[in-house]
Amino acid sequence: MSDVRIFKPRFNPAKPAFGLLVFLLYLFLLAPLLIVCVVSFASNQYLSFPPEGLTLKWYEMLPQESTFMEGMKVSLIVAVIVTLIVLALGVPAALALDRFDFKAKAAVQSFFLSPLLIPSIVLALGMVLLFGPLGLTNTYAGIIIGHVAITIPFVIRTTLMSLATTDTSCEAAARVLGADSWTVFRRVTLPIIQPGVIAGGVIAFIVSFDEAVISLFVAESGLPTLPVQVLRYVENSADAAVAALSVILILISLAVVVVVERVMGLRKALR
Amino acid sequence: MTEPKLSIVDLTKRYAAGLEPAVDRLNMEVEEGHLVALLGPSGCGKTTTLRMVAGLMDPTAGSIVVDGKEITHTPVNKRGMGMVFQSYALFPHMNVEQNVAFGLEMRQTPKSEQKARVAAALDMVQLGHLGKRQTKELSGGQQQRIALARALVVEPTLLLLDEPLSNLDAKLRETMRTEIRSIQQRTRATTLFVTHDQDEALDMADRIAVMNGGLIEQFGSPTDVYERPRTHFVANFIGQANFLTARVGAETGGASLAGESYYKVDVEGLGQFGAVGAAGLSGSTHEMVIRPHRLTVALRPGADQTPVAGTIERVSYTGDALAVAVRVGDQQLQAQLLTSSGDLPRTGDAAYLSWAPEDAYLLPATTSAERLAA
Amino acid sequence: MTLLQTPIAAEKRTDRDEGLLEKATERRNRRTYLALLLPGLLGLLVSFVFPLAYMIRMSFNKGAPDGVIVETFTLDTYIQPLTDPYYWRVTLDTFQMGVTVGILCVLVSYPVALFLARSTSKYRGLLIAIAIAPLLTSAVVRTYGWMVILGTNGLINSSLEGLGLIDTPLKLTNNMTGVTIGLVEIFMPYAILAMISGFGRLSPQLEEAAGSLGASKFKVFTRVTLPLSLPGLLTAFLLVFVLAISTFITPRLLGGGSVQVLATEIYDQTTGLLNWPFAAALSVILLVLFGLIIAVYQRLTKKIGG
Repeated sequence: MSDVRIFKPRFNPAKPAFGLLVFLLYLFLLAPLLIVCVVSFASNQYLSFPPEGLTLKWYEMLPQESTFMEGMKVSLIVAVIVTLIVLALGVPAALALDRFDFKAKAAVQSFFLSPLLIPSIVLALGMVLLFGPLGLTNTYAGIIIGHVAITIPFVIRTTLMSLATTDTSCEAAARVLGADSWTVFRRVTLPIIQPGVIAGGVIAFIVSFDEAVISLFVAESGLPTLPVQVLRYVENSADAAVAALSVILILISLAVVVVVERVMGLRKALR
Repeated sequence: MTEPKLSIVDLTKRYAAGLEPAVDRLNMEVEEGHLVALLGPSGCGKTTTLRMVAGLMDPTAGSIVVDGKEITHTPVNKRGMGMVFQSYALFPHMNVEQNVAFGLEMRQTPKSEQKARVAAALDMVQLGHLGKRQTKELSGGQQQRIALARALVVEPTLLLLDEPLSNLDAKLRETMRTEIRSIQQRTRATTLFVTHDQDEALDMADRIAVMNGGLIEQFGSPTDVYERPRTHFVANFIGQANFLTARVGAETGGASLAGESYYKVDVEGLGQFGAVGAAGLSGSTHEMVIRPHRLTVALRPGADQTPVAGTIERVSYTGDALAVAVRVGDQQLQAQLLTSSGDLPRTGDAAYLSWAPEDAYLLPATTSAERLAA
Repeated sequence: MTLLQTPIAAEKRTDRDEGLLEKATERRNRRTYLALLLPGLLGLLVSFVFPLAYMIRMSFNKGAPDGVIVETFTLDTYIQPLTDPYYWRVTLDTFQMGVTVGILCVLVSYPVALFLARSTSKYRGLLIAIAIAPLLTSAVVRTYGWMVILGTNGLINSSLEGLGLIDTPLKLTNNMTGVTIGLVEIFMPYAILAMISGFGRLSPQLEEAAGSLGASKFKVFTRVTLPLSLPGLLTAFLLVFVLAISTFITPRLLGGGSVQVLATEIYDQTTGLLNWPFAAALSVILLVLFGLIIAVYQRLTKKIGG
């Protein structure tokens, strides 16, 4: 009586079981982030379970931990400059790729996205080899140049995504109404593609801010970024100060996630 | 005629070498204050022509002259035109007033004057009360009017409308037709109007340019293109038409107002009839056009004229009118009659068709068969 | 962070074809688009092409002890990794780790992706965002989280000891087990993202249609759901595989020096032994491995796609 079944939805034990499975997998996915939060408030002197009590001492320790503060400063400076540079380089390039037609267009587009296809360890090695003789290792310039390669694709992609969904006749309308190219860009195109530009910018920021491999190769000894400092600390110490720092990093990422989700949708921006 | 507002001379657009031109040596003159419809099927080059006039596209050859000044190579933002796009192209990040003011801002019109002119433009399209709204909140018809106000507020040299009604539903389209026409007549803005809808063109335009394959097949008033089509394409595209191949005999004397002659014609399989056409057609074969509703359908043979006997093959009832397809020999003729409460013809009935000589128009171009032979 | 590129979906728009034709012919536009592209192209040239090219060139030099580099053109540096059993072991381990992580990651991501693809809940967007948000958090932080969970005094060992289930802590870090668990979780968002995008043809209506034709739940899954999700699963697997064989942070931290894969080997050769030509040769080998896999993948997707 298979046809009866369609009209009579019965209790199906598979459904809650599947739901439970999905819930557990979500838990697995978020486990390291959740555990870091828990540990950061635990008063245990060394990493261990269960937490013996609640404390904020790890957070209070952070400002005194000069390596962290130094790393934070380096990472912030790098990430801000990288973001500005890749926006300046990426948005015009995306504009050219969407609004103009030329022979090598597909190739150029693939080229702009190709740094994502190269393992960052390989890129990092190439950079340290090239930057060494040029005196760029352990400098801001070295780290920044290194990060430009891996963040440009995000800006190009989100901007292209925004451009692809806009109606080009808005720009035509502005031109007919007397606007020159620059005015059209400033007054019409840019406001319309703003979501893609913002999403690309904040993603570039967080990717640069969290990047560890290139920074490790290019500037480990002289100008360690925050992720490099965290990496070293984790390798050498067992206390929970780094957990408190991690929570702050997670919160920064969360802010980025919220912004991207708001302006264009996380899934669209990252696919 | 005084100097035309717009003249287009040998305008040509080729998208790539080796491709058929999208617009092929097009010539046209538009009088001040006229609304000219560029009418044709998709791909006929009408939008390309409009975009070249707007300056959004570079012509491959030819020139565009407005008010006696050549503007072929003037950049789009210096042409001072107003354009309404199919999608309206309202700036999504600006409210209604900001949209309308944009063109004035570009012209650096003083703020106070901007305000007054924007208000006047919005009043003209009866949307004065919506100035502060976001464009997304507006209906299609309202967006359309905002787009029109935005184009007109700058007092454009030419108003260009690119299929402005095609995104509206049928009812609203009729209303907007009337409204655009009346606003155009009030502002006396010389207007180019691209459409694929013949009703729109006939209803709104002072002149219609019927386009096909990058060429203007005919440029004339709505009655011209409907009553006196110059080509098979025009007759077929505008309204419905029956085409009969006629061997044109002697002139029967008497000329119509437009200097046309009456002829005796011989239609194979149907017999001899009277028809009207340009002078000097005698002795060759031409296509004869008869509009379906100009055919008189009788259910029994009448006394007058020489009716053509046939059988009704298909009847389609649309309330106020009845379309019938009548088999006559080896051809099928479409006819139309208004319904009445009496008996309506049915499939299989005999029908007798007749028409006045004035309603049988001989196309000036020779038939395609002869063109091929020549 | 690395992502495979996916073509940008052409979305519906109006006035588009006209616009495209328009730009195809404007000659004066040439200067404009070149001016727009040039800064970006230069940026990538400096930060991407030059380093890669220089590295490839470096791989043909000869490395001498103490970081001395002999400028030459030789394949010597390739001979060692290709003949020395130790490097065969490392390459094989890397490959194996990639396959294991790929398979496990697909297995744990599939239910989540399936759930998200079929969900009609109003929280679907939020749930998708939560599933892929970890992608934007630092790999260092997430690896650290796994160290806390898997470590000798970590969550798992403490819990099991507390429950009296074990006497000596399980060895979950400083070995491949830990690295694998960590990588599976770290790459889950990528896999989920790839799967949701790859499930394009999978719709609840299809499953309902199969159900209405009398198919059992199991049949619906094996005959409709699974075949339709195969392309997404394959993409996800390859993406994770490619990411896994080149990852550095997690093997280094969770492997604690006892897990040697190509990436950690490259690092050691670079900063420890200062044998740059050799590190470069290893990188080129990794790149070639990458290229091969991506080529195979493109072949496969073409086949599946029709």
